Amino acid sequence: MQKAQQEVQLTPANSAATSADPSDDPAAKLLLGKAAPSFTLVDLDGKKVSLADYKGHAVVLNFWATYCGPCKLEMPWFQDLQNKYKDKGLVVLGLDQDDGMAVKEVAAASKRVGVTYPILMPDDKVSKSYQLSDYIPETFYVDKSGKIVEQTIGAHSKNELEADVQKAIASGGM
Amino acid sequence: MKAALIGLCVAISCVTLRAQEIQMNLGPAVPASKVHVQLLSNAAEVKAGEAQVVELRFRVEDGFHINSHTPKDELLIPTLIRFNTGSVVKVVDEAYPKGSTFRLPVGAGETLDVYQGEFRVEVKVVAPKGSSTLVGVLKYQACDNAVCYPPKTLPVVVAVTGR
Repeated sequence: MQKAQQEVQLTPANSAATSADPSDDPAAKLLLGKAAPSFTLVDLDGKKVSLADYKGHAVVLNFWATYCGPCKLEMPWFQDLQNKYKDKGLVVLGLDQDDGMAVKEVAAASKRVGVTYPILMPDDKVSKSYQLSDYIPETFYVDKSGKIVEQTIGAHSKNELEADVQKAIASGGM
Repeated sequence: MKAALIGLCVAISCVTLRAQEIQMNLGPAVPASKVHVQLLSNAAEVKAGEAQVVELRFRVEDGFHINSHTPKDELLIPTLIRFNTGSVVKVVDEAYPKGSTFRLPVGAGETLDVYQGEFRVEVKVVAPKGSSTLVGVLKYQACDNAVCYPPKTLPVVVAVTGR
């Protein structure tokens, strides 16, 4: 039953994304095949975290917010995948998109969701460089060479997330 | 022009009658595609100087939901109206409707308490004789099955006529 639920394809009602899966919207794949824009953000402990810190790793960049139900469904799956593929060099980073929320509130929310991977506080410049839409979740899968090999919008099944993670791990070998 | 439209509405009986309340419905003030919620009521006629219930009708765009006034999760943003203080129309009470249950169709299926389609907020006001305006904003946060949008505000401007 659980597996069947995870196979469900979620269909957003957004009029801008006319296809069944918003990730199939050409506008949603603007950065596919390009180098992931560099950034430096601060984590929940105030420590600076740069994408460049993870050079040579497959990296998942998941944009989320505390008010987003679909985000909070995906995040435990990203945590599972982080644990499963840690030995293959997978790194998951959660980029919070709340506007004006205190660090402690974001920390409490991520703890409640059950994730331990780094949560990074928002910066409009990063949202712009990744050309985010005004909705979340949005996720970028970056291979070991720093190239974006998959870009998705909306909550997807765990199997789909894992397939995209595997693509990032398999690509850009160094 | 507005007066003529109101008159036309009255003439074709598009007025919602409730006890001690007359409400006129002139359609959406803003395109739904941008804001996901429309205000359907923008005029009301009440008995001057007495506490009267004005029913504010809103419509959530098809395929979307917004949190109810009392969402189950404290992290979720409740729907509420903030009325301007200092208005000649005094708001003395607000009553929000119960939400409906919405289950996200993935994984364990988190259950949410939401408004979908049309919902009505009952606002008890005291208005002076003549024309005045009830002004505020509806604060809400919309999602569909797969994505969520940032919290937004919808202007709430209702012409109130005290008789």
